[in-house]
Amino acid sequence: MKRTFLTLVLGLAAGVGAHLAYYRQHAPAATDTLEGQLVWMKSELHLTEPQFARIKELHQASHPRLQAMATQVAVMQSEFAEFEKNRRTSDRVDFLEFARFVESRRDLNQACLDSTKQLVLASAEVMNPEQRARYLQLVASAEPLVGALLN
Amino acid sequence: MEVKASPGIKYEGLGAGVVLYDTHPSLHSPMKTPPDPLDPLLDRWSETPEPSPRLAANIWQQIATHEQAGPISWRQSIEAWFGRPMFAVGFITACALLGLFVAELRVSQLQRERNAQLARSYLLLIDPLFNAPPTDRRS
Repeated sequence: MKRTFLTLVLGLAAGVGAHLAYYRQHAPAATDTLEGQLVWMKSELHLTEPQFARIKELHQASHPRLQAMATQVAVMQSEFAEFEKNRRTSDRVDFLEFARFVESRRDLNQACLDSTKQLVLASAEVMNPEQRARYLQLVASAEPLVGALLN
Repeated sequence: MEVKASPGIKYEGLGAGVVLYDTHPSLHSPMKTPPDPLDPLLDRWSETPEPSPRLAANIWQQIATHEQAGPISWRQSIEAWFGRPMFAVGFITACALLGLFVAELRVSQLQRERNAQLARSYLLLIDPLFNAPPTDRRS
């Protein structure tokens, strides 16, 4: 009885120990920084060191511009929400303001698409065909990019 | 088989035990064989001890005990298996392998989730319109 119990306890300890050791060693670390994402891309696309250095350079160069655009998009979204709220409550539409808003949003969207397309194409140019196909498959999930890249 | 006796020679015994005398047994001693180690044992065996007076009672008691015990329970069976060193070592090894297998499944699952999350973060990083509503993106 004692021997059976001891064997069961040892088995349980061996299983749990092996599980924890393996999991701690192989679990991927969480990362939200640009650096972390580029490292992930490097391993995902099997980039060489020169490829990685060039792609990192491209991303770092375009990062501030893209971030500023993302902020502008967010501001414009909140402005549009405010505009819609006013239209519903006051039942009045300032068509001139709305036309200006639509125009500026269209310009911003086009600028965003151009910037993203430029970055994606520049990065893809650094890669070999296999890496490029995988990379484009990855970015293709961003809907407007698909059309932009195919044109 | 009939053996013809020559004059002056007598035969005693049968087969391999035949002892030859060329004249008279009293004048010659038989050929000596080496002592057999089985002989003393056989002598001792011939002295069979008397069985115990309770022999029959003891036998019946043992039969009754076995009948009462019945078939081996599952618990006894498990204990018998775990009592074997090879089985115990195999069990512990199997537990460790099972732990590794489950850890690998968890790591794979986590890896898939993390990859999806990183892909999304990357797209968010390179595409400012990624989180915008579809109507905004197309305008």
